[in-house]
Amino acid sequence: MSAESKAWMAAEQKRGTRASILPVALGTAQILAAIAQVFCAAQLLSAVLLPQSRQWPVICLYTLGFIGFALIRAAAAHRAALAGFERGAAARRRLRNGVFSSLLANGPLNGGSRGRHSAELASIAIDRVEAMEGFHARWLPATILAIIGPIIIGLAAFWTDWHSGIILAVAGLFVPFAMAVAGIGAGVAAKRQFVALTRLQVRFLDRIRGISTIILAGRAADEATALAAAADELRRRTMRVLRVAFLSSTALDLAAAAALILIVLRFAGLLHENLIAVPAALFILLLVPEFFAPLRNFAAVYQDRMAAEAASEEFAGLPAPPAPVPAAEIRSVTAHGITLAFEDVSFAWDAARGNVLDNLSFRIVAGDTLLLTGASGTGKSTIIDLILGFIEPAAGKVTFNGAELKSLVPAAREKIIGWIGQKPMIFGGTILENIKFAKPEASADEVADAIKRARLTEVIAALPLGLETPIGEAGFGLSGGQAQRIAIARAFLKDAPLLLLDEPTAHLDPAIERDVLESLKRLAIGRTVILATHSTLAQEFARDTGARKLDLDAVRLAKLRGVA
Amino acid sequence: MPSPGARSPIRQIVNLWRGHSAYLALGALLALAALAAGIALMANAGNVVAVAVTGGVILVPIVLQASGAARVLLRYVERVISHDAMFRALTRIRIWFFNGLAHSAAGGLGFRKAGDVLARLVNDVEALDGLYLRIIVPGLCAVLLLPLLAVFLWRESLWAVILILPIFCFIAFILPLRAARLATGNTGQTGIAMAGLRSSALDALTGLREVKIFAAEGRMLAKIQSQEAAYLAAQRDFARESSRLNSISFLAAQAATLLAILLALIFTGASPLAATIAVFVLIAAFEATAGLPRAGILFGQAEGAAARVVEAATTAPRVTDPESPAPLPSSNALALEHVSFRYAENLPYVFENLSLQLPSNTHTAILGPSGAGKSTIAALLLKLAAPNSGRIRLGPTDISALPAEALRSRIAYLSQSTHLFADTIRNNLRLGDPTADDARLWEALAAAQLTEAIHALPDGLNTWLGESGNTISGGQARRLALARTLLSPAPILILDEPCAGLDYATAIEFLKTLNVATKNRTILLIVHRLTGVEQLDRIWRLANGSLMAATG
Repeated sequence: MSAESKAWMAAEQKRGTRASILPVALGTAQILAAIAQVFCAAQLLSAVLLPQSRQWPVICLYTLGFIGFALIRAAAAHRAALAGFERGAAARRRLRNGVFSSLLANGPLNGGSRGRHSAELASIAIDRVEAMEGFHARWLPATILAIIGPIIIGLAAFWTDWHSGIILAVAGLFVPFAMAVAGIGAGVAAKRQFVALTRLQVRFLDRIRGISTIILAGRAADEATALAAAADELRRRTMRVLRVAFLSSTALDLAAAAALILIVLRFAGLLHENLIAVPAALFILLLVPEFFAPLRNFAAVYQDRMAAEAASEEFAGLPAPPAPVPAAEIRSVTAHGITLAFEDVSFAWDAARGNVLDNLSFRIVAGDTLLLTGASGTGKSTIIDLILGFIEPAAGKVTFNGAELKSLVPAAREKIIGWIGQKPMIFGGTILENIKFAKPEASADEVADAIKRARLTEVIAALPLGLETPIGEAGFGLSGGQAQRIAIARAFLKDAPLLLLDEPTAHLDPAIERDVLESLKRLAIGRTVILATHSTLAQEFARDTGARKLDLDAVRLAKLRGVA
Repeated sequence: MPSPGARSPIRQIVNLWRGHSAYLALGALLALAALAAGIALMANAGNVVAVAVTGGVILVPIVLQASGAARVLLRYVERVISHDAMFRALTRIRIWFFNGLAHSAAGGLGFRKAGDVLARLVNDVEALDGLYLRIIVPGLCAVLLLPLLAVFLWRESLWAVILILPIFCFIAFILPLRAARLATGNTGQTGIAMAGLRSSALDALTGLREVKIFAAEGRMLAKIQSQEAAYLAAQRDFARESSRLNSISFLAAQAATLLAILLALIFTGASPLAATIAVFVLIAAFEATAGLPRAGILFGQAEGAAARVVEAATTAPRVTDPESPAPLPSSNALALEHVSFRYAENLPYVFENLSLQLPSNTHTAILGPSGAGKSTIAALLLKLAAPNSGRIRLGPTDISALPAEALRSRIAYLSQSTHLFADTIRNNLRLGDPTADDARLWEALAAAQLTEAIHALPDGLNTWLGESGNTISGGQARRLALARTLLSPAPILILDEPCAGLDYATAIEFLKTLNVATKNRTILLIVHRLTGVEQLDRIWRLANGSLMAATG
């Protein structure tokens, strides 16, 4: 385990210890009641074996005791189980909230999420959080009880017959020792199991999202084979984890069976020669399973601990949500539109591939439009990601009305920027839900207006269910152009002073592109706009509106010439 | 709901385990043997003590050690084998699940959510392990225990059999069955809630960009938390009910033990020796069956999980394959004859009485505004949808008589939503042709105008593409998909907007290459507009549901 995840586990354990008082008390009550119940049972059973010593009032008393203690045990166990569930549930709620808060606050390109598949991130937030359940619900109290329980029961046995007490103590000590030996490598195995589970999920999710592509390429059988390999790896990894658990409980079975046999053999001789009282012998004999019960619980939850440790790496590695920035400068920033400037900005996605942007400077005055052109990969999307605050410049700064982007509260920054990309994210749901994603509190009139401006009115009117028409994930049921116009409707609804357009018309045919560009022109009025595009039509349109142009190919060429 | 005649989902799942039945049976047999050893151990322990007390002759209790050792060993082997057998069976279900899904989802997932399907593959399949490990195996153990217990109790007294055996039956059979029946009311609530949780988590994480831009963090978190609350509530019900059942089964077991003792006290005719042994055996027997009542509600969950797994895996495809398929003709000419099509009863026809010839080795373009139904023609040719009337022929054969897979082996299709996988560039390309060597991959990349861009990457063909290819630009992703389609050896290419998202110069270069690279293939180009460099044999314009000859 890394130092980070050790510290994280220590903090989790501290939380758990505080919450463990009630379950430990309930567990101790169960153990005491078990001893008392076993005592009653031994007395009753000895009455069976020794008919000459039967006293009915005493038998009645022990019968009542047996029943009463059984009821106490059942009640305590029930309470402990319910309380354990609530502890596990509370821990999962807290941890899941933490994971999502971190991922949502840090955005798509930062810290924990950059370059990772959404299935992998979801697996942290779901499976790894689930893996922490046992640790909080059961592990801590079970560990404490695995120490307290055998000590109390062992003392009871010792007090009755010290030989047997020692046999139990030795067998009891053998258990943690054997578990430690069996558990060598368990941590690594648990970690690998997670990796295998995540791999299966990423592979499967990725493949089902593109399942049509796979089937139409005639490769479904190959994909099934690859999936089988991933599923089989998960089986092998899971078995490795379980084998450790099985070995621990086998050690326990062994200790329990050995203790039972040794005690039986010891008593057989003693009883035969009347050297020990029958109730005492039966008491100890019936106590053997109770002695091992807390240890059995401990062995059962040992993998909860392993799972928690394996899961901890990811939790400890998540970046904290960014520190809140004082909101002092916000008002001046948005007063009269947004003037945006890049000042000597450099950025590299990957040091080995060199800078995408190299000392780039430009400025757009409030209300102006900047046309960004350049071949694929020259940094158009990078510039937009920098303005969105998803990434930070390696050198130089991005400013809104002179205030550095970093100094703005994220909530304020989000209010300023509208964005339309190449492929909008369409959520499974209705058209209305997807449009209102931009502004859930929008009135029906506002929505209708946004739809009209995005030129969606006729499309929606032609659908039998209108705005309530369901659409599938990734836009099933919509054409690429229609999906894009939903994104435009979202931008109209959001009504932000700075508009970033990243290839907004890439999938539209000329007639509709013209239409959409008209809409965008209306959208652009009074706003600062950056339009990154390949489209000739869009470029012409931008020039007509008096946009300035930043050609990244030319910038790069000039740099090269400068160097030469 | 399954129709009355259909097999229940649980049955279908259990049927899938046939291939592993020997291994699974071995696991169950070992479990029975381990149980028998455990009973022998406890019976012997009781016997030794009782004999010692009553003053009988103690035999050398070698049986004691032997049964103790056998129990420990058998238990370990049984656990390893039964779990391994179970997980193999689960792997088999997962593969079956994927194949079933692939069968029905040639046109994509449609309205199904990927997160929901994922939850079925992961969580619901996992929930099925309880069926064997916690229901079938302990259930068999209980069945074995019944006669054993009867014998031990009979030795004590007839009354013990009459009074105690029903208690055992109550714990091992009646309580679990009743729990299972009660649980069928809300089967799979946990599974459904988990699927909801996964879906909203994936929505928030896949759409992280939009979530940030529209300040939807709070909304997304709220939705996730409400799904989580539903999940935890379902689990809480389960936990409460299992704990209640555990208490009942514990108390019933204690009552049975007490009864065994009291009967020996009351009926003086009972043998103290037999009674002691019976008590020891009862303790072991109840330990083995303690989990069964809880398994009853587990069955309810497994039933729900099985239903969800089977439902997703056995959805009928939109176009079903013919029962007795015709042989694939040698001709590669496609023809639509008087085809009418609409997506649903309540929707207007996309086109009516449409006819189109695509002779072998010809290049055809269909132009038209978006929404005119150009892509629908591709869907019909690929059997993703079937015409409402009219027919489509490959050579002389109606494609409705051809298996979809065979037909599709002739056609390479670049759709508007072609997916790039989170894998290397090489593996993404090889989806087009798994046998292609690097030279051919570079050739295809050259045709798609990608040579320079891929060469510039430090890892070249081994570059890992992120989710949906998001580590490369949109234009590059589109060209990669194009290269993949060109790699396919299929004689017919259908290219739906191949140049969308490409800049003008790149598009022109690509189309020129296409003219040369595909001389001997049939091409259907589906585009909004022509650039003028395409060399086409026929050009059609699709508008208002009919095709008209057009000039570039």
